[in-house]
Amino acid sequence: MNEDFLLGNGAIALGLLEAGCQVVTSYPGTPSSEILPEVVRLKKADNLKTYVEWSTNEKVALDNAFAAAITGKRTACCMKQVGLNVAADSLMSAAYLGTVGGMVIISCDDPGPHSSQTEQDTRLMARLAKVPVLDPATPQEAREMAGIAFDISETFGIPVILRPAIRVCHARQNMKWSALTDHPAKALFKKDPMRWAATPKFRFRLHQELNRKLKNISRHFDSLQPFNGHNLEPGKHYPLGVISGGVPYAVIQDILSDAGRDDIPLLKLGAPYPLPQNLADEFVAACDKVLVIEETDTVIEYLLRDRSKVLGRLSEDVPLEGELVPERIEHIISQVLSGMRLLPLNIQAARDVEDLVAGLDLPIRRPTLCPGCSHRSAFYTIRKTRPKAIFTSDIGCYTLGLNLGAVDTCLDMGAGITMASGLYHAHAQDEVQQPIVATIGDSTFYHSGTAGLLSAVYNDARFVLVVLDNLTTAMTGMQPTPGLGIRADGSQGKTIPLERVIKGCGIDFLEVLDPYDIKGMRQTLKQAFDYTKKPDGGIAVIIARHPCIIAYREQAVANRIKVTISDDCIACNHCIERFECPALYHDPVREKTGIDQALCIGCGVCLDVCPKGAIIEMNIK
Amino acid sequence: MKKKPINFVISGLGGQGILFMTKILARTALHKGFKVMGAETHGMAQRGGSVVSHLRLGDVKSSLVKAGAADFLLALEENEAYRNLPFLAEQSLLCSNKSSGNFPVPEVEGYLSNASIACHSIKAGSLAFELGAPMSTNLALLGYFSTLDRCPFTLQELRTTIEAMSPAAYKEINLKVFDKGARES
Repeated sequence: MNEDFLLGNGAIALGLLEAGCQVVTSYPGTPSSEILPEVVRLKKADNLKTYVEWSTNEKVALDNAFAAAITGKRTACCMKQVGLNVAADSLMSAAYLGTVGGMVIISCDDPGPHSSQTEQDTRLMARLAKVPVLDPATPQEAREMAGIAFDISETFGIPVILRPAIRVCHARQNMKWSALTDHPAKALFKKDPMRWAATPKFRFRLHQELNRKLKNISRHFDSLQPFNGHNLEPGKHYPLGVISGGVPYAVIQDILSDAGRDDIPLLKLGAPYPLPQNLADEFVAACDKVLVIEETDTVIEYLLRDRSKVLGRLSEDVPLEGELVPERIEHIISQVLSGMRLLPLNIQAARDVEDLVAGLDLPIRRPTLCPGCSHRSAFYTIRKTRPKAIFTSDIGCYTLGLNLGAVDTCLDMGAGITMASGLYHAHAQDEVQQPIVATIGDSTFYHSGTAGLLSAVYNDARFVLVVLDNLTTAMTGMQPTPGLGIRADGSQGKTIPLERVIKGCGIDFLEVLDPYDIKGMRQTLKQAFDYTKKPDGGIAVIIARHPCIIAYREQAVANRIKVTISDDCIACNHCIERFECPALYHDPVREKTGIDQALCIGCGVCLDVCPKGAIIEMNIK
Repeated sequence: MKKKPINFVISGLGGQGILFMTKILARTALHKGFKVMGAETHGMAQRGGSVVSHLRLGDVKSSLVKAGAADFLLALEENEAYRNLPFLAEQSLLCSNKSSGNFPVPEVEGYLSNASIACHSIKAGSLAFELGAPMSTNLALLGYFSTLDRCPFTLQELRTTIEAMSPAAYKEINLKVFDKGARES
């Protein structure tokens, strides 16, 4: 028997493998990134044959898992919620085609948001695609749901979405499990072009079939214990009932139990779509009003049939944005109870302490690039070379180039390039020569850089593109990229260098440099700008390559340089504001800049930053 | 009536080892037979931002500690202690690393005593630094915490977990920092 205090994402990995999942594909993204590495860890421990891959993006991951599923195997693909947008094309069609083997799509939501560009609710995507969705409340439940998702998928021949929210993915719970074994299914693809390559005429029939499946699943969900169910006492009528699912359900259970409020019944919808209509009707009928508390959008609330009884976001009882943390949920329930002249919850006012903390003027801790991060020197140099340029950027650690004034836009994966192209044409139309610098990370470039670059080259856009190549996917926890060729299980795959891909996109100006060399990079940037202005020029690409300081510790800073501040420092704060290294601070005693030697990593890049030359190498004694 | 759970909030900055500290407490609790739920911070916030983790011992469903319901706030940095004060319940305990002699500031001291919140602090950061392990502020604070009467674990229980969880190369120094923290009480 194994035992571990598993992360929710580890519990999901365990649930997948316990159910005999044979193929797991993924593209990393918070809060989903740990699922695949946990699958690899568990698979290695028990010598399973499970095929794992970091796909280049989420659509690629979903397509791959789908293909394996239609051979009769159990498969899964994992991504964050905005990753499902990238995979949406694949998802919508896969729902119509259905599956043979079980297929589970894990899309992790981020109410808050803590580490995402939107708070979108995967359950809405499930509804749009017309596939069932499961919404776990705890890591243990996520593990169980990962298992039953395969059963649902195979019984009804449809992909199933599991949507754990961040508080499940990054919660921890103790788990015990027995040795894992391989599932016996062998790949058996039965040709059926009317289905697998269906034309619109057949798609209509598949749509009919899909709707029939949903009807049957809704009935199945009516009695899907313990994930769907209520605690009504037979024959009893209640003034107020609460309907919830996922993380808020667990929070509400604690709140009502702590308050000893067994007069408020609770309907749990851990499988909210397709809505278990009979179960929901039964609950609503027993209450005068029902309060729907769900994260993050209105899904259950819209699906309830008796609209006259429903309280929630549409009635402005539940906030439309933000995470439903326990104190917020407690406040919502208490307000509704008061509004109905029922006994409210006994809440202790926390106002004074919040005011006290607000009055302390605590430092705002914005996330910052690490000391020694090569993105910092790249951004510093880019901005220094063309301060008036528009800086389009992308998604990764380097979005934090914001802090250095070298990131003006961040839309979605790959938009560093496509927005540069769009901005160029918008200005060129007015005969304005607007300098534009696009930045994109290596992993993001492999994910969705090429289509945008091809289009920009084809349509003769002019800008400088800097690919920030730190030889890893840093933000999400150091996953390898095709540029390294290392695969998800640590084995060596084929390496596809950025240079080869970029040249293949039709780029004629390509320079590779180390951004630690500020002077060298400035020179290359100037040449790059000149090239973009030449009639026979085009897009100039610079690969700024330096290993990530966290992933490659020793290698990343080969020669450690001890730096100090000389008396020439006039405390102009140029280095603190423009270079923004966490090791630089204002020393109020000396009235100069100081170096925090505990934070300084000795990269020595700041030696080139001070306009007065006051950052100097410490004398070797 | 079920037994009241024990709620921890652990706060600090990205890179200070909040996750390791949380794991040590969690494993020790598991060994003592508690049911344990934890909630962590990953992703962008880890890049030097404020990091908070929650740990709940007992029969609970949700991993999040409600504001005003924490029994213990362990803070690895003064400002991160202040920032998370709203989590503390009345008659709870704050245990913090401090760098200045001015902790807690008078207005916070007033609040803590009004709410009967016990406040304990040590210079865990400089202690770890002096032992040549600046990244081990977390263990120095944990050592100190283990000696407080209200700590639900004994010094030996926490020490055993640290010994079991530390990679071989760090075992000796980790225990040294922990022990030094414990002697500061």
